[in-house]
Amino acid sequence: MIELLAITDDTAPAEPPLRVVRAGGLGVVVAPASEDEVDADALWRREALLERLMEQRALLPVRFGTLVADDAAAAEAVAGRSEALADALRRVRGAVELSVRAVAPGQPDEGSPGEHLQARAAHERTAAALHERLAAAAREHARHDGRELLRAAYLVDRSEVDRFVSLVRDLQAEYGELSILCTGPWPPYSFAEPEGA
Amino acid sequence: MSGNAIAEREVALVDLVDRLLGGGVVIAGEITLAVADVDLVHVSLRALVSSVATAQRQGVLPADGGDGP
Repeated sequence: MIELLAITDDTAPAEPPLRVVRAGGLGVVVAPASEDEVDADALWRREALLERLMEQRALLPVRFGTLVADDAAAAEAVAGRSEALADALRRVRGAVELSVRAVAPGQPDEGSPGEHLQARAAHERTAAALHERLAAAAREHARHDGRELLRAAYLVDRSEVDRFVSLVRDLQAEYGELSILCTGPWPPYSFAEPEGA
Repeated sequence: MSGNAIAEREVALVDLVDRLLGGGVVIAGEITLAVADVDLVHVSLRALVSSVATAQRQGVLPADGGDGP
């Protein structure tokens, strides 16, 4: 079995253990499927391979753990969607994904139900204000529900990453009561699915 | 790296696992791998965020955590 790691439109060979399987005009980045138990170190090694590849070419990460029997099956898996995938590659080209979480202190369950509701409404306003400013600095954005006040991914032009990080720092200074956690740059995991899929 | 390096890597691991399991393009194939201890990773985030003001990964944010509280 081989694992599908990413879709790219640059079919030049990749650093081992990665290989690029041609599929129409696209390339499927594959690696031998690992038999070992998946732990954090294995995930980081896999991530490092993808990130080095991302420095050289536009790519769409494939959902983790997608296995096929062989190269022919890998090519076949993307054949029917090559146009949509090529469009998706154009959307992410030259950009990286940054993750932002904002976490509010304190126990949300404290106080009366009325106070709880009021606090929640205030949190939602704060989250919307943060997201609006971050989204304005990004090419695209994806907000996710979570236990945090804000959990979102931003697709940011490579040349704009420093500016985005400065903005995160400014927001942290402005909203001193929150913890604002920013990680990345990531491959565009949250922007890989073709539109209308 | 600062003294928070391990905690920062843990926060980044939460972001990585979220992306691996919930992101990426879905291609026809057999999804067979499972990630061990994913629940543990999510549970630990709550404890971490109170002690880590700003996550650092690959030099995106400075080691001093910027202007965090």
